[in-house]
Amino acid sequence: MISASLYIVTCSAKNRVRRRVARLREPRYLVGAIVGAAYIYFSFFARARGQRAAAARRRNAPPGADAASAALVAAGPALVSMGFLMLATIAWVLPFDSGLLEFSEAETNLLFPAPVTRRQLLLHRLMRSQGGILFGSIIVAIASPVGGWMRFRLSIATWLLFVTMRVYFTAVTLSRNAGRTGAARTVAWLPFGAFIAATGVVMTALVRAWRMMPVQNLPDALSGVGDVALHGVSSVVLWPFLALARPLFAPTLTSFAVDVGAAFVVLGITIAWMLRRDEAFQESAAVASARRAEKAQARRGTSVRARATGLSLSLTGRPEPAFFWKNGVQTLRLAGISAIRIGMAVLGVCGAAVSVAVNTFHLRGAAAAGCAVAMAVATFTAILGPQIVRTDLRSDLVHLELLKTWPVRAGAVIRGEMAWPALMLTAIGWMAIALAAALSPAAFPRIAPATRMTIAASMALLMPAFVFVQYLVQNAAALAFPAWVPQGNQRPRGVDAIGQRLIMLTGVLLLAAVLMIPGAVGGGAIFLALSRWTGVVGVVPAALVCTAIVLLEVLVGSELLGPLYERLDILAVERTE
Amino acid sequence: MALTVENLRRVYDGFVAVDDLSFAVAPGEIVGLIGPNGAGKTTSLRALAGILRPTAGRIQIDGHDIVADAIEAKRRLAFMPDEPHLFEYLTVEEHLRLVARLYTVDDFDVRARALVEELELTGKEKALPGELSRGMRQKVVIACGLVRNATTLLFDEPLTGLDPIGIRRMRETIVGRARAGAAILLSSHLLHLVEEVCSRVIIMAAGRKVADGTCAELASRADLATAGSNLEQIFMRVTGHD
Repeated sequence: MISASLYIVTCSAKNRVRRRVARLREPRYLVGAIVGAAYIYFSFFARARGQRAAAARRRNAPPGADAASAALVAAGPALVSMGFLMLATIAWVLPFDSGLLEFSEAETNLLFPAPVTRRQLLLHRLMRSQGGILFGSIIVAIASPVGGWMRFRLSIATWLLFVTMRVYFTAVTLSRNAGRTGAARTVAWLPFGAFIAATGVVMTALVRAWRMMPVQNLPDALSGVGDVALHGVSSVVLWPFLALARPLFAPTLTSFAVDVGAAFVVLGITIAWMLRRDEAFQESAAVASARRAEKAQARRGTSVRARATGLSLSLTGRPEPAFFWKNGVQTLRLAGISAIRIGMAVLGVCGAAVSVAVNTFHLRGAAAAGCAVAMAVATFTAILGPQIVRTDLRSDLVHLELLKTWPVRAGAVIRGEMAWPALMLTAIGWMAIALAAALSPAAFPRIAPATRMTIAASMALLMPAFVFVQYLVQNAAALAFPAWVPQGNQRPRGVDAIGQRLIMLTGVLLLAAVLMIPGAVGGGAIFLALSRWTGVVGVVPAALVCTAIVLLEVLVGSELLGPLYERLDILAVERTE
Repeated sequence: MALTVENLRRVYDGFVAVDDLSFAVAPGEIVGLIGPNGAGKTTSLRALAGILRPTAGRIQIDGHDIVADAIEAKRRLAFMPDEPHLFEYLTVEEHLRLVARLYTVDDFDVRARALVEELELTGKEKALPGELSRGMRQKVVIACGLVRNATTLLFDEPLTGLDPIGIRRMRETIVGRARAGAAILLSSHLLHLVEEVCSRVIIMAAGRKVADGTCAELASRADLATAGSNLEQIFMRVTGHD
């Protein structure tokens, strides 16, 4: 079985690499790969170089300048080992997803009926998981501020840690599912009792150590942690965890070799324990595979419930509202899943923006902070919303075969597809602007109310222009370069895919900016003409004219894109690996 | 003729998938399109449905060119593909309603109710595609094709995933639509079905039409006379597999 597993692993890896390399013959993948590689270089290697320089500067700093950091490094193995103990104990109550029990459909259909033991199947999954674990270890090493052989050693230490954790979590899952009878169940849960006891021993020792030597500062606290981990009973119960943590901090090659040897012993014991718990394998694998299938279903969107949306479609009229309705229903039924993702992204960006705003403008008070959040939401919606909300032709490329059979003009398809997401984002933007305007007296007390309302009204008028023009460009890009647009919920992988996404994002933003120029020129002219009499209020008609020009461009653009849609071949739409 | 194909040719990256294909289907006629895997049947049907642009040749639906006058041609056409592509977030009823809106179906409620009953989708109206079996999804695709008054129906493997009762019902549905005056082109690997319901058969191989006629006409062809009288024997001889 080991040789069969090796065969599967090597053949899969070889074919994946061959396929990725072969597709570099196409310019779009080659260009994407170059851009993606440059992005990775500047994101990791160049940054890592900067971090090393900073670390060197810190080393050259006067002694005692950073006592807390030194104490932190000294207590590293002890701290990490205690963290592992906590994690190992918690895993029994809140089991982690190790992935080792998630067999693919091909593995289930081909290997389960094959004459192989459960232990061999577990070892097979462990071998198959090595690619991802190795990749993760290398990324950790690359991103760390160490250099040369230290980086290589860190990579090995991280790999050992990741593999042991994965095996341990699998063993916990198998133990939790083992034994229906009381006795077998008790035996299976014995390790949990041992971990609870170990945690108790370590906590007691820690409290005692801190009580005997009162903690004045962070170095004192860390010193206590180090003492507890290295002496007494707690050092015995922490040994397996220290053995895994030490290679991460080994100062010399010799100590590293010794520490890695000890870590391998722990890994071996953990693997042996996992293999001994194999009686619950089928049940655990079935549960894990079902979970995997559920996740895949959620990604495809097939786990959505047909709940009422409140949107209705009349049987007569232009085709655009039919697309609007279709995409609206999709969004409202998906809201449970995608709203969380989008909401989290918005919250993250807004949080950062609020932090910057509060510090830069010295904004105080809840109202001021609320105003800043609302402004951040409006900005985020206008600039990045159309990149994220893809309920338009981009997500419908997967249904191109169906769309192409419909007796609908291409321009109407494009307008209809982008109508829902564009109007939805516009509405969100308007709500954010209205909130910001309402809270603006607290945030900008020195600005006159009329000026504040004028700015808010102008922003509200410009919002549809920003959003619609981006949707036009996004859909034009989908029609012109369909192979670069991921279908539905798919996310293409690989360096070339990263590069393609970057190129698309940059191109779309640049083109959208260019398309805004006529509107900006028209609006600017109106403002110049009126400002002599109206003052700052002239911004409002200027924004209105700008938006009208841009929306006209969008209308004309959607018609001009018609031939692209007509010529779009379903074979040009990329099928993700 | 409801459907006319003249010298259709489709090339993918230098590979000729369909070459010089010509035929016509009259109203009320059921024509079977058969051939081994890779013969070009699905490519032909996709070109007829307006999904793929022909590299050369001409396709007309009721006199409307599928490229030059696409909207009018598509309005008269219904394509039922072998893979049931449906919108994951629309229910069965909503799919029918969307199609009715796009094709302007007047008596939608009556037609939809009758179709749901005919295709045994009763009780599944509020279900999403993800909640349906493959056979049920295939029925939804067919219902979407039949909910409007199409004069030309293109079926690509319509029986895939259906149970024996569904197969029988579908056969009756196809024949019933032809009796009502629709021109039907039916692609299938089930030769007994083709032999049973089709008035004429087109056999394709390697992208080209290699035979066209009724089973009796093909059986009496000089080069096929020794093959046998049933469609399977004729098919094997024509495609060089006997």
